[in-house]
Amino acid sequence: MSITERHTAPRGEIATAVRDLAPVALGLAPFALLIGVTGARSAAGAGTAVLSSVLLLGGSAQLTALTLLAGGASAGAVVATVALVNARFLLYAAALEPRFRDQPTWFRWLAPHFVVDPTYAMVAGRADLEDPARFRRYWLTAGGGLAAAWVAMTALGAVLAPVLPASAALTVAAPAMFLAMLVPHLRARAGRLAAVVAAVVAVLAAGLPDGLGLLAAITAGVVTATVAESLTDRSPS
Amino acid sequence: MTLLLAAIATHGLRTVLITLVPAHRLPALLRRGLPHLAPAALAGLVATALVTTTGPAAGSAVPGVTYAALAVAALVAWRSRHPALPVLAAVAVTVVAEVLA
Repeated sequence: MSITERHTAPRGEIATAVRDLAPVALGLAPFALLIGVTGARSAAGAGTAVLSSVLLLGGSAQLTALTLLAGGASAGAVVATVALVNARFLLYAAALEPRFRDQPTWFRWLAPHFVVDPTYAMVAGRADLEDPARFRRYWLTAGGGLAAAWVAMTALGAVLAPVLPASAALTVAAPAMFLAMLVPHLRARAGRLAAVVAAVVAVLAAGLPDGLGLLAAITAGVVTATVAESLTDRSPS
Repeated sequence: MTLLLAAIATHGLRTVLITLVPAHRLPALLRRGLPHLAPAALAGLVATALVTTTGPAAGSAVPGVTYAALAVAALVAWRSRHPALPVLAAVAVTVVAEVLA
């Protein structure tokens, strides 16, 4: 089979998605374990932790929800806070919309469930998924695989909670994973600018509640990079 | 029930600009910013993790150790461009630091 044939065969995208997903799932495993451990050791309970992985599929929001539920917060407060923490998914969805435009209706309604930081980062820079069928195969494999691994690791964390020692190793895994995904974006000048501005604003706005600091950081980074790029385009060469 | 409501709200955030108000109908200025979203979001997530605690059950993260672990992770990410190696490096640095302490 030639390289072109291999690339266009259905198995090509599935194999590529599995290959891309493996290190990502491995990297995120400690974060999922942490969610299981957090649920099992709090009043929220192990079952709630696992259910949150199935329903929410977003680590930061899950940890926030479990903490609030364990503290006896009202349903309205939990829902509002989770929505704020997950507000960045709105931006990810806007960026991914061209890939969903020519997809079947079922896919456009159900497959966005897999819109989350790692899957967005996996497809953001890929130019080989323009064909709707190829994107669909890649997205379902990567997203479905990530969701399955995420739920399984959360359950494992809940089971192992009584024997796992208290360690910061679990908390450092998620930012390290995001760091690994960030580095390729730093090749471009606009990417570096967006990252630096977002990081500075995130530190300055860390005191804001419910993920608002992160949202402000992302917005500041995107706006600055967009304005800088516009100014560069207009300047005479 | 609370989790189900939170899940519906989250799914709304994920689908509204794909299914209900497709993003290609957004103003051109907004669409021009979307390619810069990934570096901004990822850098924001890393910086936020650096300055906040992530969870009550994981033990007390010593800031110095976390910074060192992420610095090593950044170095490994820059040199290897492999998604899993920086995580393993960061976890290894943290475990070694905790054992030595």
